[in-house]
Amino acid sequence: MSSQVLSRRGFLRVFGVGIGMTVLAACGGAASQSGASTAAAPGQQPTSVAAATPAGQSAAATTAAPVAETQTPPAASAGKTVLRVQANPDEEKPTEDLFIQQHPDVAFDNLSITGIDHEEVASKILSMVAAGQPIDLGYAATEATQLYAGQGLSLALDDYVKRDADTLKEYFADVHPSLVEAMMYEGSLYQLPFDFNAANMYYNTKVFAEAGFKHPADDWSKDDFYNIAKTLTKKDSSGQATAFGYGWINRLWGSWMPWIFVNGSNLLTEERAPGGAWLWDTFYKDDPAAKGRGGGWRWRKPKANDPANVEALDFMVQLYNEGITPAVELGGGGTLQGFFSSGKLAMTPAGGFWSGGLHNAGMKRGDFDVQLFPKWKNQRHQFGTASLFIFKQSPHKDLAWEYYKVRISKEGMKVHGVFNPVTLTTPTRRSMMTAERFAETGPEHWQVFYDTLDKHPDTAPIPAPPVSNAETTLFTSYTAKAMALEMKPQEALDALQKELEALFARNPKMYPAE
Amino acid sequence: MGRAVATYVWAYSQKEQGVSTLSTARERLERRKTGTTWLAKLREPTLKGIARREALTGYLFVAPTLLGILVFSAGPVIASLGLSFFSWNVFSPAQLVGFANYQRLFGDTRVLISFANTLRLVLALVLLELLCALLLAMALEGTRPAWLRYFFRTAFFFPLLMSGAAAAIAWSYMLHKEFGVVNYYLGLLWIPKIPWLASARWALPAIVIVYIWRQAGFYMVLFMGGLSNMPQEVLDAARVDGATGWRRLWHIVLPLLSPTVFFAAIIGVIGALQLFDEPYIMTRGGPGDATRTAVMTMYEAAFKNLELGYGSAIALLLFVLILVVTLTQFWAGERFVFYQ
Repeated sequence: MSSQVLSRRGFLRVFGVGIGMTVLAACGGAASQSGASTAAAPGQQPTSVAAATPAGQSAAATTAAPVAETQTPPAASAGKTVLRVQANPDEEKPTEDLFIQQHPDVAFDNLSITGIDHEEVASKILSMVAAGQPIDLGYAATEATQLYAGQGLSLALDDYVKRDADTLKEYFADVHPSLVEAMMYEGSLYQLPFDFNAANMYYNTKVFAEAGFKHPADDWSKDDFYNIAKTLTKKDSSGQATAFGYGWINRLWGSWMPWIFVNGSNLLTEERAPGGAWLWDTFYKDDPAAKGRGGGWRWRKPKANDPANVEALDFMVQLYNEGITPAVELGGGGTLQGFFSSGKLAMTPAGGFWSGGLHNAGMKRGDFDVQLFPKWKNQRHQFGTASLFIFKQSPHKDLAWEYYKVRISKEGMKVHGVFNPVTLTTPTRRSMMTAERFAETGPEHWQVFYDTLDKHPDTAPIPAPPVSNAETTLFTSYTAKAMALEMKPQEALDALQKELEALFARNPKMYPAE
Repeated sequence: MGRAVATYVWAYSQKEQGVSTLSTARERLERRKTGTTWLAKLREPTLKGIARREALTGYLFVAPTLLGILVFSAGPVIASLGLSFFSWNVFSPAQLVGFANYQRLFGDTRVLISFANTLRLVLALVLLELLCALLLAMALEGTRPAWLRYFFRTAFFFPLLMSGAAAAIAWSYMLHKEFGVVNYYLGLLWIPKIPWLASARWALPAIVIVYIWRQAGFYMVLFMGGLSNMPQEVLDAARVDGATGWRRLWHIVLPLLSPTVFFAAIIGVIGALQLFDEPYIMTRGGPGDATRTAVMTMYEAAFKNLELGYGSAIALLLFVLILVVTLTQFWAGERFVFYQ
């Protein structure tokens, strides 16, 4: 072979071979990097919500763009068991540290997954699992509880709960049974509720005071509400509204769903699944609020165009036509929060999550307050609840359960970042609902949050069957059409009914135990 | 294969020693007829062998790209085609359903509306963004001093560098009917508030405005490049012959610019057919289905509703649409594009 210097052409040839070999080697290697990179949590954008946002909460603050996600690397995981948890790392850390004190051989890998709303987060989790990246503990609000359970992704906790019944007695005594029932599916318990939000009515106290309105009575009516909303709507000389009496966001929780409920109806038919006696008899034997409860909810058929629903949507359209309600947006509610905090919106349905959210938006204690939702045919509220669930495919189920117990324990919940330093959602533990918790943020009538469950035991979760993702898309689509005045409410709900029937027909086995 | 490699190595060594393999090859070709040994034949470079060596080098260079296309583009397209004949939600075994997904697709009003929206968007976006870009390019081309031209070129290009999602969120605020800054300034001109994102009539135009605001800068730069590369002698000759203003633009500039316009149109159409970010973030396809695009429908079917077979069928339909549109463009290009 020549000892001459490699020619240009020769170099290029060798370079090409090298590139080809490198590519082949890279493709052949198994790069099973864990998890989507996930970004931490909360920011204040209208169309993003962190995965760990509480049930019902729309726009937790997100500084990340909706699809940006980062991952916290497992710290010092050599020789340790790593638990992969779908959670906001900052919020989850205090509870994880508590657990590590008892289990120093455990490390955590937190995945904070953002999305415009809960169904989007659920879609991302499902995609991750489908791509072969399971996690140990996922997070699900009511919107996704039956979605995961129905797909066989989440683990039924019955055996664990029965085994540790003595330890958990204190927990169940502290949590309203309606929240527990919402996390059951076909007789089994899949999650132990951690936080919840019922759609109560928030109002701007300054706007109220300027118009001479006091705190509404507990049983204030729809007409009382309407009069107040109309009075508080301000218009300029051209007739354009400059401040609105009432506003809402187009989504499944909240939106005009509370009006469906207080009008004595629902989007879907409701019934209780059989079973669950093992839980009620063990933990709620003497609790009258647990009487008649079963093995979870079944939402088997749509009734979108029920006359009561049409009436409710008619009312919403009327408020819009009269300028009392602004144009309805989709998504998170950050915009609404901005308008509310700047005095341009007097009332809106929201839960305990708004107490911290409004505080973070700059509102002081006393600037806002909350009351039960107005009464129409009844005063039945809708709520959502949320918690972690254990993935069936988790290789660390027992360990995951141990962490679960710490997380829902009194100590675990007290130190959790979602309740400290401000309350970003309503804790499911009644004992945590104290004046001290809301002392800094308000609202003054914080008791309303849990009174919703205690005083109105017929309060129920939003209708979220295993096909809730598709259901939400259809619901928000036709709501938007009606609110944009492109379809009359009856027309829109007739069309929605038709599409929901087709959706349910394509998924006949949502409740396999029947 | 081994013979080719061996030939290549031998020829390379010959070349490094200054031996012309080509002339040797010709001579060897002649000698082959007299029956040289198979080993000698193996070592002998031939004209065919040289061409093969050159081809091999070329293939090695394009191999990474080809591999990427096979693995990340062609492979998934073929898999998607197969998946479209199944019903599969990832967690349960896939079930063969034949053409049921396609049957459902052509009866699904939402899908048909989304494709109609997509075609409307393509028409509006491509025409308007090319027009805006051309006007901007022509305006900037004659701008003096040069630093002002550079400043505006950067300013118009800047939106393209932003995150599409961030821009869409910002625009959502600005286009809010009640409190958005756009309606505020329109109000100063006594124009009533426009329900940009809350009305089916205005939602699509709002998406078009936002998209053009982001993309026009890119095409402007393309056209500026095209304009600056025009043969000056042709333009001078046209001026001497009295072609000015509109006639110069229509009969001289545009034909000379047609290759750039053609390229921009192809890119623009493909991008518009795949529009997702802005409608998803700003309106989620609403109000109703007013801004629902084909890609959104595909995404919802596959990843929200976990109907991957159905989503694949929608994807295939989109693929066919893009193919038809692109072929139509190339057909039109043969007739209307002028290459110097």
